[in-house]
Amino acid sequence: MLAYSIRRVLLMIPTLIGVTAVVFFIMAWSPGGIGGSEAVAGGEMEGRSQLAQQQYLNERYGLDAPLVVQYGRWLNRVSPVGFASGSGGKVQWDQPRLLKWPDLGESLAKRRPVIDLYAEALPVTLLLNVLTSPVTFVLSVWAGIVMARRRGGAADVGLGSAFLGLWSLPQIWVGVLLLGYLASSEYLKWFPTGGLSSTRADEWAFLPSFGEGGAWNRGWLMDRAWHLVLPVLCLAYADFAFLSKLMRSSVLENYTADFVRTARAKGLREKVVLYQHVLRNSLLPLITVSAGVIPALIGGSVIIESIFSIPGMGKLTIDGIFARDRELVLAGALVSGVLGLFFILVADLAYAVADPRVSYD
Amino acid sequence: MTDSPPPPSPEDGARPESVSAAEEPVGSPAAWRRAFRRPGAWIGLVWLGVVAAAAVFAPFLASSHPWYFELADGTASSPLLEHLSPADVAVPGCLLVVAAAVWFLRRRARWALAAAGVALVVLGSVVFVRPPQITVYDQYRRALADGSAVAARYTLIPYSPSDRFRDRPELRHPLPPDADHWLGTSRRGADLLSRMLHASRVAMAVGFIATGISLVLGVVVGGLMGYFVGVVDLIGMRLVEVFSAIPVFFLLLTFVAFFPRNLYLMMVIIGVTGWVGYARFVRAEFFKLRAMDFVQAARACGLPLRSVLLRHMLPNAIAPVLVAASFGVPSAILYEATLSFLGLGLVDEPSWGQMLSQATGAGGGFYWWIAAFPGLAIFLTVFGFNLLGEALRDAVDPKS
Repeated sequence: MLAYSIRRVLLMIPTLIGVTAVVFFIMAWSPGGIGGSEAVAGGEMEGRSQLAQQQYLNERYGLDAPLVVQYGRWLNRVSPVGFASGSGGKVQWDQPRLLKWPDLGESLAKRRPVIDLYAEALPVTLLLNVLTSPVTFVLSVWAGIVMARRRGGAADVGLGSAFLGLWSLPQIWVGVLLLGYLASSEYLKWFPTGGLSSTRADEWAFLPSFGEGGAWNRGWLMDRAWHLVLPVLCLAYADFAFLSKLMRSSVLENYTADFVRTARAKGLREKVVLYQHVLRNSLLPLITVSAGVIPALIGGSVIIESIFSIPGMGKLTIDGIFARDRELVLAGALVSGVLGLFFILVADLAYAVADPRVSYD
Repeated sequence: MTDSPPPPSPEDGARPESVSAAEEPVGSPAAWRRAFRRPGAWIGLVWLGVVAAAAVFAPFLASSHPWYFELADGTASSPLLEHLSPADVAVPGCLLVVAAAVWFLRRRARWALAAAGVALVVLGSVVFVRPPQITVYDQYRRALADGSAVAARYTLIPYSPSDRFRDRPELRHPLPPDADHWLGTSRRGADLLSRMLHASRVAMAVGFIATGISLVLGVVVGGLMGYFVGVVDLIGMRLVEVFSAIPVFFLLLTFVAFFPRNLYLMMVIIGVTGWVGYARFVRAEFFKLRAMDFVQAARACGLPLRSVLLRHMLPNAIAPVLVAASFGVPSAILYEATLSFLGLGLVDEPSWGQMLSQATGAGGGFYWWIAAFPGLAIFLTVFGFNLLGEALRDAVDPKS
């Protein structure tokens, strides 16, 4: 298993180079090129200061180097093994480094280290997903069992159609309707229209409390939860529907298996058969699927984050793409690529652990 | 499956016997017939038919140009026909030609003749259809008002998707549904139903053509990988892995944001980002097939590679891929809607996603009709495709 994991990790390297190369050259060959909006922003300046800006960008980010060289320098910077980099990311061939901390560079548009931007945005997106995933998984396992036990009955057919409908509901529509009816000033104003906290939540106590004079204050925690209700709802429903349908077919497949008949023939109670024999085997496909669902949640939160104006990874990535910010976009590709490949590997290994019939050696 | 396996149809006998006799060949007529035993498949198909009809005939359903217009001096004209674009003429024309060919001609010649007819129609409409460069929507209303025109007959919905009532400033803001505008008007005062009808063309075109592009790419790459195992497979799999390691939506955003806004480019981009799943499918199928006796026999007979791949293997591998494609169309439609919603869609064409983004605004306020109807159109179309796809999958895949 260890040898297998090492081989898989080594195979990730060419894949990640491929991922970032695809993204880099799409950006570089597009009309306008890298740093387009920064260069255009100089359009309103006078000639001399525009030239100075261009020179500054070239010197700082090496934008005047040929594309392949720019990409090579970027690779050298993020690679843990390589050479030290000078100004503009120049490779200093005389200073080899055996192990160095990957340097994601500094955002062209925001003039801040990319790693700092990610350190701010990643927890927000993770919070959304950590809140969403477990609830979704538990509920869909339950719904899948309910449907499979009543196979062909009214509950199964009804829930099946309902889940197909739920799965087909576009997130953008649900988001707009939730915002419009539950958060706008014209209809119910139950929820905030966006963001993660109220303006002055920083000054509040953590837990709900009665402040001086007995004034009710919902506190930081309640405020955050209140802001997260609609986005989490919007993020959860489609995966819930999809996973429930998957769970149903998985349970059904096991229901007709020989080992279940054996268990019944032994005289085991139906509950024991269901929860100890069928359910445990039915959970296996969920492992594979969750490898795809978790990175997709991080990508899919682009939509949620822009509807509810939440400053997470998706928002950061969109900002980077709009500004043609080389560092931010490449870092986004790298981070989502690493996350995606990592979760696939974890799922494959978890599968081998959960199912003794699977072995990679 | 709740149904008992249907009796073998005569067509089954024509297939090579080595496709295991116990298991019904995937994609046989019986399987397709079984798919349409479910009401869901019919509901989906009917709705998709409605949307497709709206897409093909949109200019004849909703237009500010009257189809009959008579001036005071007695000259009559048809501004509707004069303003048709080449695509407006070519699409119904092609459908007509294909339908006629299928209906009237015998089996042998009809596909070649249909293809020739389609080519002729496309060429003709590109060369001969020349709509006026400048469109003035209010000229008919003005002419009627000042008496220089005496009669104007309009289509069912007498508004074009981008007719924003330059002549009537009191109408240039969102209005809720009423007798004039059945689904209300958009933020800048254009008729919402008309915009939705015309937007169905963008949705359907992107859905089908983008899926077609990914299908072709996936079949070619996957087929080559599955047939020539070894180095080709290793390189191909790295390519597949690269494209599946980037979240599709991230790649899509990167492409769309960096390149000019254009309908055809958008189809290509959505197609290029979505081929990986089909490639995996076809690869797995070809892996299985290449070891089968009938393929070995075809190779041993010395048939050319083209024949082995296209005549013997592909038809046996294509059914599950087509089922996957019936789920691919709605996801392409959703991608188009989402990109337009985020402001990355086409600039001046109406699109369901773009309309949806107008429902809530920076100035606050929520126009429920702008949110409800375009969103419902996206939902029903995606739902229709999914119903159809699910019925097909259950019919074709014996496991579920």
